Amino acid sequence: MITKSNLYRKEKIYGYLFILPPILGLLIFTLFPFVYSLYGSFTDWDGLGQMNFIGLDNFKDLFSDELFYKSMYNTLFLMLGIPIGLVLALLLALGLNRKIPGTTTFRVIYYIPVISSLAAVSIMWNWAYNGDYGLVNQFLELFGIKGPNWLMDKDTVKPALILMTVWKGLGYTMLLYLAALQSVSRSYYEAAELDGASGFQMFRNITWPMVKPVTFFLVVTNIIGGSQIFTEMNIMTPTGGPEYSSASIVFYIWDKAFKNLQMGYASAMAMILGIFIFIVTLIQFKMNEKSSFDGD
Amino acid sequence: MTKKKGFALTMVVLLLMVAALAGCSGGSSSSDGSKELTFMFRGGTDEQKAYKDVIKKFEEEHPGVKVKMVVTAADQYATKLRAAITGNNLPDIFYFAPGDLKAYVNSGVLKDLTPYIEKSKDINLDNIWKYGVDLYRYDGKMAGQGNIYGMPKDLGPFALGYNKTMFEKAGVPLPDKDKPYTWDEFIKVNQELTKDTNGDGKPDQYGTGFNVQWALQAFVWSNGADWLDESKTKVTIDDPKFAEALQFFADMQNKYKITPGIEQSQTLDTYQRWMKGEMAFFPVGPWDMSTFEKLPFEYDLLPFPTGSTGKPATWIGSLGIGVSSKTKYPDEAVELVNYLTTSKEGMKQLVDAKVQIPNLLDMADEWVKDTKTKPNNKQEFIDIVKDYGRALPGNYTYNAEWYDIFFTDIQPVLDGKITAADYVKQEQPKMQKLLDKAVEQEKKSQK
Repeated sequence: MITKSNLYRKEKIYGYLFILPPILGLLIFTLFPFVYSLYGSFTDWDGLGQMNFIGLDNFKDLFSDELFYKSMYNTLFLMLGIPIGLVLALLLALGLNRKIPGTTTFRVIYYIPVISSLAAVSIMWNWAYNGDYGLVNQFLELFGIKGPNWLMDKDTVKPALILMTVWKGLGYTMLLYLAALQSVSRSYYEAAELDGASGFQMFRNITWPMVKPVTFFLVVTNIIGGSQIFTEMNIMTPTGGPEYSSASIVFYIWDKAFKNLQMGYASAMAMILGIFIFIVTLIQFKMNEKSSFDGD
Repeated sequence: MTKKKGFALTMVVLLLMVAALAGCSGGSSSSDGSKELTFMFRGGTDEQKAYKDVIKKFEEEHPGVKVKMVVTAADQYATKLRAAITGNNLPDIFYFAPGDLKAYVNSGVLKDLTPYIEKSKDINLDNIWKYGVDLYRYDGKMAGQGNIYGMPKDLGPFALGYNKTMFEKAGVPLPDKDKPYTWDEFIKVNQELTKDTNGDGKPDQYGTGFNVQWALQAFVWSNGADWLDESKTKVTIDDPKFAEALQFFADMQNKYKITPGIEQSQTLDTYQRWMKGEMAFFPVGPWDMSTFEKLPFEYDLLPFPTGSTGKPATWIGSLGIGVSSKTKYPDEAVELVNYLTTSKEGMKQLVDAKVQIPNLLDMADEWVKDTKTKPNNKQEFIDIVKDYGRALPGNYTYNAEWYDIFFTDIQPVLDGKITAADYVKQEQPKMQKLLDKAVEQEKKSQK
């Protein structure tokens, strides 16, 4: 009995030791900053000196802060790129899943933006969008269209950013879809073919349901990522764009925290953003549960 | 239960240990026993090189002191510094903007340099721009007086440059450096110089192309208006004189067509146009001198055109070099600051590298007389510092949020979509609200 318990205890120690690094990481880099920021959101901390507890004042101020709503709206608007990206990537994946020559080359081409540094990509698009000599407008000129100065106009800056984020994420999404498509057993299609199903019917009833877990994963991660979009606008529109029309919520948080000495207020916004992401993700999980594929 | 508690306790202890380790601030002894100072700064490539050379010289003259340099990109500098302060990981010596002086002093970030400066035999405050030193004085209530918390790295008078070669080619009489243009004259000269030189129907040589954020001040101030009142607590942009200046600024593009239009108005663009010799007038700061030395044309300086006051106006930028209140080697740190800002040896090297104007009055006199280097009329820089230059409005307040939003929202005015008069009316309350907040924040930080 005693030996067995000893053995058990030893194993337990080893177990703890093995999980120690990730747990430490979680505590130091996630939990501790989170709790600190949570406390900060109830203070008037300027990021330098003392933290004075001011209760819910920051949150109250938020409700009448025009720029908070604006940056929240911008963030949601930019998320229009998510469905566009998903559809494009799925179409691409369907195309590249066929046995035609040159697919490998195309896969590489579409994947290159994913491995490129986001900062470098932003600088490149910054040039491309230049109203005067930018590639985009030069291209449009071929068709006789006079392009706007994309990043300086409040009506075009958001679509411009969406185009870029879609382009950047396409390869990653496509690759995941491609992997999902390739794991679908040929036998389903053969059976459907025998039953005389059309191409569209096969897509609707076999392909789409089979890649659904991947779609779910992508939607969840893209929304979380999309809520935190920052680098692109920080490089391309460093002042938040014309009339703040390209500032995302994270951009606004950063602006308040590091430029305007309002770390407490910024923490409050970060909390709201965290809650928002949590709720949206929760809804998605619930929806996925309800409609999940009961077969197999 | 107890086991769980023990485990949690271990975790907490570990956590604290890690936190304590991470919290070590700068100023460490290096392995060979010499004193190591960290110096965080920013600047263009020529500037970085100049500073590296000066510091190398400092190290040679001060055996036992090593300086570790941390350079960051200009637009990320402020953020990095704030992060270093928040993370309790401040470099020993660092640049800071005069606008941040009050916040940094109130929260105990900056070391009071006054006793060190008074003690030092090498420093003669009378031989340094008073304006520059005053920028870094603070008595706990008002900036501009009291103890010294930093020394000016330099002063950056923002002058107006013109392309002399272009004037000569076009047969337009050269501007008189002692008699600034009026706004009307300025428009006329610009219109003469805005040209379609290759006959494709669009002008490819422009009069000018100002970035609103850095050039509007010259027009507003010269017209007798300002962003703030005397007490620095009221936003005064709804003054008709202000609207008039802003309207004039926008009209340069929309009405007089002397600057590149909406679709070409990016800053990068106008800077490049000037560099290529396709622009008659462009603002010049001392930091540009090394780059502009290689311009394919002759350029010189003159005052900005004058509005209703009849007097030219512009701003003087500055960055201070401060010492962390937590540095281990305050004497050496202050020594380095002095070497960079007030010593003859240090200043000479920086001035020769053409990245700044001299901080020392006697050296400035000599420098102005030297006609071998561009621009010829260096006196203009000195006049701005001595006579008519001012600090940017955001410098006076606890944060510059209220000021920044003015430029964030301004695009429709520049595009001619709304009038300046409507804009200032709509923007004033918004800015006032943010300014009130900044004032309140400042009060809180003082107690």
